[in-house]
Amino acid sequence: MNFETVLFYLFAAVTVFAALRVITARNPLHAVLFLVLAFVSSAGIWMLLEAEFLAIALVLVYVGAVMVLFLFVVMMLDINIEQLRKGFWQWLPLGGLLAALIGVQMVWVLGADEISAGTTAVKHAADYSNTKELGRLIYTDYVYPFEIAAVLLLVAMVAAIALTLRKRRDTKRQDVNKQVKVRREDRVRIVSVPSARQVESVQEAAASNHGHTAD
Amino acid sequence: MLENYFPVLLFIGIALVMGVVPLVLGMLVGPHRPDEKKLSPYECGFEAFEDARMKFDVRFYLVAILFILFDLEIAFLFPWAIVLKEIGTFGFVSMMIFLAILVVGFVYEWMKGALEWE
Amino acid sequence: MMEAQALQLVESLLSFLGLWELLRGFIEPAWHVVWTVLKIFAIILPIMGGVAYYTLAERKVLGFMQVRPGPNRVGYWGLLQPVADGLKLLCKEIIIPTNSNKFLFLAAPVLALTPALAAWAVIPFDDGMILADVNAGLLYLLAMTSLGVYGIIIAGWASNSKYAFLGALRSAAQIVSYELAMGFALVCVLLAAQSMNMGDIVRGQQSEYGLFGWYWIPLFPMLVVYFIAGVAETNRAPFDMAEGESEIVAGFHVEYSGMGFALFFLAEYANMILIAALSSVMFLGGWLNPFQGWPVLGELTAWVPGLVWMLGKMSIFLFLFLWLRATFPRYRYDQLMRLGWKVFIPLTLVWVVVVATWMQTPWWLW
Repeated sequence: MNFETVLFYLFAAVTVFAALRVITARNPLHAVLFLVLAFVSSAGIWMLLEAEFLAIALVLVYVGAVMVLFLFVVMMLDINIEQLRKGFWQWLPLGGLLAALIGVQMVWVLGADEISAGTTAVKHAADYSNTKELGRLIYTDYVYPFEIAAVLLLVAMVAAIALTLRKRRDTKRQDVNKQVKVRREDRVRIVSVPSARQVESVQEAAASNHGHTAD
Repeated sequence: MLENYFPVLLFIGIALVMGVVPLVLGMLVGPHRPDEKKLSPYECGFEAFEDARMKFDVRFYLVAILFILFDLEIAFLFPWAIVLKEIGTFGFVSMMIFLAILVVGFVYEWMKGALEWE
Repeated sequence: MMEAQALQLVESLLSFLGLWELLRGFIEPAWHVVWTVLKIFAIILPIMGGVAYYTLAERKVLGFMQVRPGPNRVGYWGLLQPVADGLKLLCKEIIIPTNSNKFLFLAAPVLALTPALAAWAVIPFDDGMILADVNAGLLYLLAMTSLGVYGIIIAGWASNSKYAFLGALRSAAQIVSYELAMGFALVCVLLAAQSMNMGDIVRGQQSEYGLFGWYWIPLFPMLVVYFIAGVAETNRAPFDMAEGESEIVAGFHVEYSGMGFALFFLAEYANMILIAALSSVMFLGGWLNPFQGWPVLGELTAWVPGLVWMLGKMSIFLFLFLWLRATFPRYRYDQLMRLGWKVFIPLTLVWVVVVATWMQTPWWLW
């Protein structure tokens, strides 16, 4: 058994353990953190398959972004665990059915000839770039699914805004563009006031000065 | 290829150890004299009266969701950026269409005021 | 190879002591691992030292900018101040507040420090002086920096304190917003270099025009955006409202003391040095000589090792961090979010398109 195999079993064991804890942990926050662990260790498995881009993108997108949202939601919503547990037996048949369906699909896919034929993984040279390989294909041969991905992201953006954006009316907001556009002339007026006055004209000057500041 | 990643794995392990060791050292070396006042969470001079973990503005969730979407966009840009010279004009145009679709979404957010922070 | 030479050195040392035959069976098979661990410590220990003396530099620079001497009591010119600070933090009690989640409370600082250190695995210090010369170097860096937010969120939540919670929330939203601008800026660098390998990115900037061949010229707006986003990512002034001592006392680490606090501090400073190193590698040609290929200066400076140039460029950025802190007042939160979402993201997106289009024309010279 070489070092890679040891690493594989290590990552696999951690993934399975973490995934089990995700569904058994009582504290939802712990469940989320175990999910993070599961993602990190599956990234390790992908790396062992020499899929470096996918492995690091898994960490970047799922661990670095998606799970942050999960943490936000789980931490900051008061989730009543008792209430969540109530429906357990009621929904168990449906959940079991879905799990079985997924299991069948996976066996089906993994058993397919094209995939089993390629199980003897190709070893690549040190300068082999998995990312370049992907880049050469995604934007040329698979351009159609690629653009559909863009549309999906657009739909997700619109949906996110439609679901979460609530305007509050009681807040004050500053419009930076308006502030920047303000000219000196709108706010300030230079008034020339004689610096030395004769004693008898003081009252007159004060009156005119007062007139300026009032407008 | 994998042998290049071995030091990275080792580095992550050592970095974890570098984090744990000072904590353990600090616990061993430092004093340990807890009392009720010292252990109570910081509050401006009065007793903490409720759980600190509260609901907050939904806007933070919106920021997190938009972050995921743009992060995915970046993930798509990365492989494109390093092969642009090889895939030529076709690859260039396909990414421009991709970006144009997403800019529509960005403009929509902007117009809806989702990027405003009140 | 240095690895084999070092093994020979160890062999001659141990055989001098008469231990070689005894230990040979243990050392030789594991030598690769031992050597890698040694290299890792050769990176981590200078970073730790750098962090310690960067805190001193920060206090000195801020002091001089405010016309006061800064720390000058411990050791000559205050040079032992970081040592004293470290020892003091080590000897302080680690307080774990009531109602906090004990395990997560202690795990949070470790989670903050680990990615800050692990990111250094792919930084090139000189030609060939890199620990892990991986192809997806830049992607790995982006992934590691995106993990830093966990330490902060978990710290804020585990403390069970309102101030920590608010600080963590602010900080998390701020970090993710600026990470986007950072990611788009990195895409521009990738476009220019056509590689994610950190060494190749530097080599792509090599030319006979010296510093005019570096990416800071075509990507200048990205350099500015990247650095400012880096300041925001590390929660440094003027974007430090996660700590905002005047309103939320210290933000996410208000409940931490002793070594727990020290680890957050270490992580923050290690991240700052990392941002400086990355900016130098991606925009200022890393280890390259700025006068390379120039008539007189080029020959005069040819003997300077690449590591010196790299460290010199890093210190420019590190000084900028301090300069910004001494100069600008703290941003308001809505202004910060506006800058991230409405200025940086559109700007970087436009620049991605500009660079890609530019590369389709024959006028792309880099």
